[in-house]
Amino acid sequence: MLKSVTIFTTNTCAYCRMVKKYLSIKGVLYDEVNLDENPHRRSEAQQLSGALTVPITVVTKIDDTKEVIVGYNLARLAPAIA
Amino acid sequence: MIDKTKQIIVYGADWCPDCHRSRGLLTDLNISFVYIDIDKNQAAKKKMLDLTGGRNVIPTIILPDGKILQEPSNQELEAALGVNLKQTAQDKEYIYDVIMIGGGPASLTAAIYTTRERIETLILEKGVVGGMAALTDVIDNYPGFEEGVTGLDLADHLQKQAERFGSKIDYNEVTSITIEAGNIKRLKTTNGDLLAKAVLIATGSDYKKVNIPGESEYFARGVHYCATCDGAFYRDKKIAVIGGGNSAVQEALFLTRFASHIDLLVRSSIKASDVLQEKIDELVSEGKITVHLQTKTLAIEGENNEVKRVLIEDGSSNKSKLEVDGVFVFVGLEPNSKFLVDSIIELDDIGFVKTNDNLETAMSGVFAAGDIRSGATMQIASAIGEGATAALKIRHYLEG
Ligand SMILES: Cc1cc2nc3c(=O)[nH]c(=O)nc-3n(C[C@H](O)[C@H](O)[C@H](O)COP(=O)(O)OP(=O)(O)OC[C@H]3O[C@@H](n4cnc5c(N)ncnc54)[C@H](O)[C@@H]3O)c2cc1C
Repeated sequence: MLKSVTIFTTNTCAYCRMVKKYLSIKGVLYDEVNLDENPHRRSEAQQLSGALTVPITVVTKIDDTKEVIVGYNLARLAPAIA
Repeated sequence: MIDKTKQIIVYGADWCPDCHRSRGLLTDLNISFVYIDIDKNQAAKKKMLDLTGGRNVIPTIILPDGKILQEPSNQELEAALGVNLKQTAQDKEYIYDVIMIGGGPASLTAAIYTTRERIETLILEKGVVGGMAALTDVIDNYPGFEEGVTGLDLADHLQKQAERFGSKIDYNEVTSITIEAGNIKRLKTTNGDLLAKAVLIATGSDYKKVNIPGESEYFARGVHYCATCDGAFYRDKKIAVIGGGNSAVQEALFLTRFASHIDLLVRSSIKASDVLQEKIDELVSEGKITVHLQTKTLAIEGENNEVKRVLIEDGSSNKSKLEVDGVFVFVGLEPNSKFLVDSIIELDDIGFVKTNDNLETAMSGVFAAGDIRSGATMQIASAIGEGATAALKIRHYLEG
């Protein structure tokens, strides 16, 4: 069971759009943190993923375990939200 | 197996749900039968009662060998017939009119044309719908947009237009194409096999790696291939851009909106259009970009998981280091054709797909369009033009 899903994005990132589309198709609600509009949260994104890239999707399960998925990676995203 | 030359007789009535179920199963199995409504045919009802020893139960099904089934479940009927609907469905895999591999401008355009002609079309995309175009910031030379159009917007419009006419898009990677009896093409994908009468290969190309120490170690942690994706992490930071072609220059220009300074590392000389060259010259005079010509990048170095500098060598073999926070690599593109190397589809020396004047490859009914085609001009307008041409050639092929 999912507790929450957060995606870190930027305005120009096409892969971010794909992740958002995928979650919408699957009926998963998510919070979006746009790093162009919230530059102060860049380091948070970097700390979560260890990477300087977007999209970063953070899936929090009902037991508060977190899965962090870097990039548009359906092989990891699909099971994470299942 | 049943003897299909002899008839199966189904006695039933229109009000009887189990009769509908049994008739539906026989139809799905493609097995012919004679249906007799006992309410409408008293003589037939009498015959049925004779055969069943007076048991007035429907459906009563008489098999060609004389065996009688009364109110059988689907499993009992299948077992008596020696067939299995699930197996039959697998034997009869669905065949699309056309499957398009890749969801870039070439395929999306081709799909607009084919679906308007009522040709059933499935697009398979492993990454971003809109392809390379969706990853490009602003496209200035696509006709019809006098102020330019962002890649994301153009991709969005193309997708909506293709979907409006009924194109289906699946998120899936194709791993091989083979041809089977009846000229049917079998595509192996990461999600199972798919069949089509015709195929369009429009897989474009991907960024090449420069293959130097540090490149894979710092991938996505300081080494990047997509400016529109990762540029935002370099606000007020120093970046090196490796490459000197149109895309490297375009990406360097885009990155100036974030970076405090860019070192453009060019192996020989800049090979970009005059418009781009002028823009670069302007930024050089403003001190925002420094161009290093005849410069090899030897290594990317860092500490604590962060990129700190690049090691370069100039035309006189002098080595030096440049302090940077990140490196963006744009040293050209390689065709997305690895999944074709074992097929009969011919590739050129670099790996682009060879076609004839009809955009058809060496495999009958398999066409190619856009950046993946040998001889393509690597422009969105051309990819869109080729997509339209390919669609018309596919229609002609399907009409046989
Ligand atoms: C940085 C940059 C800037 C550019 N700027 C311009 C510009 O200003 N103007 C212009 O006209 N052109 C520009 N181009 C070129 C333009 O992007 C391409 O010519 C155009 O996108 C080609 O379209 P296409 O449909 O042939 O292929 P692509 O757009 O490359 O699309 C191919 C798609 O196929 C998918 N794919 C690949 N293999 C498989 C597989 N096995 N299974 C499923 N899917 C697969 C890929 O993920 C991709 O989405 C630029 C290119 C780059 C790199």
